[in-house]
Amino acid sequence: MNIGIPQALLYYYYYPLWQPFLEQLGAKTIVSKPTDQDIIHQGSRVSVPEICVPIKVFNGHVNELLNKGVDYIFAPRMVQVEKGLTFCPKFLGLPDMLDYTFPAHKNQMLAPQIKGTNEWSVSSQDLQKEPFFAAFDKSRLEAAWQIGVKAWNRFREICRRGYLIPEALDLYQKPDLPKVKNQQGEIKIGLIGYVYDIYDKLVGMEICQRLQEMGADLSTFEMLQDKDIDRQIDPMKKSLFWTFSNKVFGAGLHFYQQPEIDGIIHVTAFGCGPDSLSGKMMELDAEKYGKPFMTVRVDEHSGESHLQTRIEAFTDMLKRRKRLRLIELGVRS
Amino acid sequence: MAKISFPYMGESVVAYKKIGHMLGHEVIEPPKPTQKTVDLGVKHAPEFACFPLKVLLGTYLEEIALGADLLMSSGGHGPCRAGYYGEMHRKILRSLGYEGHLIIFDAPRDHLRDFYQDLKRIKANNSWIYCYHVLKLVYRAIKIMDELEQKVSRLRAYEVKTGSVNRAWEQIQELVNQAFTLPQLEAAQKEGHNLLDSLEMIPVKEERKLRIGIIGEIYVVMENSTNMMMEQKLGELGCEVRRSQYLSDWIDFNLLPHWISHPHEAEIQKMGTKYFDIGIGGHARENMGWIDQFSNWGYDGIVHLLPFGCLPELMSQSIIPQVSKDLNLPIISFALDEQSGLANNLTRLEAFVDLIKAQKFGVKQHILQQKAAG
Ligand code: SF4
Ligand code: SF4
Repeated sequence: MNIGIPQALLYYYYYPLWQPFLEQLGAKTIVSKPTDQDIIHQGSRVSVPEICVPIKVFNGHVNELLNKGVDYIFAPRMVQVEKGLTFCPKFLGLPDMLDYTFPAHKNQMLAPQIKGTNEWSVSSQDLQKEPFFAAFDKSRLEAAWQIGVKAWNRFREICRRGYLIPEALDLYQKPDLPKVKNQQGEIKIGLIGYVYDIYDKLVGMEICQRLQEMGADLSTFEMLQDKDIDRQIDPMKKSLFWTFSNKVFGAGLHFYQQPEIDGIIHVTAFGCGPDSLSGKMMELDAEKYGKPFMTVRVDEHSGESHLQTRIEAFTDMLKRRKRLRLIELGVRS
Repeated sequence: MAKISFPYMGESVVAYKKIGHMLGHEVIEPPKPTQKTVDLGVKHAPEFACFPLKVLLGTYLEEIALGADLLMSSGGHGPCRAGYYGEMHRKILRSLGYEGHLIIFDAPRDHLRDFYQDLKRIKANNSWIYCYHVLKLVYRAIKIMDELEQKVSRLRAYEVKTGSVNRAWEQIQELVNQAFTLPQLEAAQKEGHNLLDSLEMIPVKEERKLRIGIIGEIYVVMENSTNMMMEQKLGELGCEVRRSQYLSDWIDFNLLPHWISHPHEAEIQKMGTKYFDIGIGGHARENMGWIDQFSNWGYDGIVHLLPFGCLPELMSQSIIPQVSKDLNLPIISFALDEQSGLANNLTRLEAFVDLIKAQKFGVKQHILQQKAAG
C-alpha cells in the first residue's frame, strides 16, 4: 500500500519525520513532484481564488497524487507542537478543506491530529482516530514515531550546522553528519519566511541560489538554536499565536541584533494573515536597529525577473554599506 | 472621570454607552464608520491587516480626535489575528503619540494584574454591587434590542412605506438608550413592539415568503456600514433576514456560565463539528453550524460575509460550494474590504435573490410577477 506525501507546506520541515514513521508501518511513501506550472494549475482550479498561494500549491499536489492513484494522502492536522501556541487557521482546517475539495476521496485522507508540547510527544490516541492507524497498537505507533523523530533530529542538527533545507534533505540519511558549513560570501543575509515559501521551487523562485550567486551567505530560522528564538519571543507581553510565525519573527529580531548579518529579507505570500502583522512589526523595527529590511511578496503570478532586479539592488546596497563600514573601521581602504 | 469611548459594532454601542453613563463617565459617542473612518484606518494600519482591524483603528483615531482618552475593547487569544488586534492597535496608537489610551479586556487569566487595573479604571468610584446591577441591566437591554432587531429584519421585507421600518428602528434604539431602570426598559420594549406593529405592511402568504440567513465574520456581520447595509438591502429585495450573530448570543456563549444561559450557540457549534473537527479561529465552525441550522429552518438562501483575506472564513469558503450542493441551499460569499466595489456586489446580490426566487416560485411565475410590478 502506498501513501502520498504532498511536496508542499510542512513537507519541507517534517518529511524526515513523516517518511520513516509511515514506512515503519509498512507503507510505501510517494512524494509528489516539485511544484511546477502544472501543479499550480491543478491547485488553482480547486481552490478559492483569494486563498494564499501555499494552500493552492498544497491542493495542487494532493490532486496530482490522487491522479497518480495513491492509496492514501498524508495530510496531518497540525494543531500544536509547542506549549501555548498553535498553527495558522488554515492548517487547523486543512483536512476539512480536503474533505470538501475532494469529496470522492474522503476515505483516502490520512489526517491525524498532531497535538503535543513538542515534536516527539505525539498522542497515539489521536493517531488511532484514523482507521488506517487504528490497525496498529499503541506501542507500535509510538515506536514508529520515535524512529521518525530520530531521523528528524539528525535533519534538524544539519540545519543548525548552517545547511539550507534542500541540502539537509540530501544529507540526513548519510552515515556521517556534515561539518558546520563554511561560508565565505561577501555579505550575510538573514533570509526569513516560511519553509514552504522559500524552498518551493516555483513560489520561492529559487531565491536562495540567486542570493548565493550574488555572493551572499544565508542564515535562516531553522539554522538557529531554539533558545535564540525564544530569547526574542519570551519578553513580549503577548506573543503571536502561531508556532512558525513565532519562529520566523523571533529569527528576524535575532538577526537584527547580530552584527554579522548585513540585511534581512522577508519572503511572504500575498494574503498571508499572520505575516500581515509580524511582517509589519519587523518592518517597523528596521529603523530601530538601523539594518536594511526588504519584503518579497510572492504568489503564483510573481515574475522572476522582477525578483532578480530587486534582490540585486538589495545585495548591491548591502555590499556598498559593508565596504563603507569596513573603510570606517580602517580594515580596508 | 475619564472620557470614555469604544468600538462601533452595530447595537453594541447601546450597551457600551449605557455602561459608561451609568458608571458616571463622560461618554464620547463613537461615530458610525464612514468612508473617512476607513480611509483613516487604512492610512495607519498595516497594508495587509484584516479589514475590521483597519476600521477599528480609524474609529479609535476619530474618537481620540473627539476628545476620548479611554478606549475600551475586548482582546482575545488566537488562533486568529483578532486576538492580536489590541496589541497592534496599541503599537500604532503609540507611534502616533497616543500612549495609554487603549484598554483591552483580555481573559483575566492571561494577565490578572493588568486586568484588575484596567477594570478599576472603568469601575471608578462605584461599588461592585452597583456595577453588577449595571451589567445586569445592560444585559437585559441587549436582549430586548436583539429581540426587536430580529423583528425589524423580518418586517423590512414587507413595508409599504419605504424606510418606515428603518425609522422605527432608530426610534427604538433611542428609547432603549434613554431607559436606565428595569421598568423603563420594559416600557421601551413594549413601545418598540407597538411601534413596529403599527406600521403598514404588505400582506404576504407564508409560502411566498423568502428567508435569507447571514453568516460570516462577526464584525462585518454585525456592523452594517462595513457590509454594504446587507440586511437593509435584502429587506428591500423582499427578503426576511436573520443573522448568525447577535450580541446577546455572544454574551450567553462567551461571558456567562452555560448552565445559566443555555446558549443556542453551543448547539450550533456542535452542528459545526460536522464540517470543522476543531475550532479553527474566528467563528468559522459556528458559521458552518449555522448553515445547517438555517437549512433545517427551511431558509431559502445564505449570504456569507467575510473580510477580504480572512483566514478562517476563507477555509469556510473553500468548503461551502460542496455543502451548498449537498444541502441544495444557495450560498453566496462576499469578500469585503476598503475597495470592495459596491455596484458590482449589489448586482451580484440582486442576481442571487432572483435566482432564489426563480428556484422557489418557478421561473415563469417570477417573470410574470416582475412584469406586474414593473
Ligand atoms: S501562515 Fe500565511 S502563508 Fe501559511 S497558510 Fe497561513 S496564511 Fe497561508
Ligand atoms: S477572523 Fe478574519 S477578520 Fe477576524 S482576525 Fe481572523 S482573519 Fe482577521
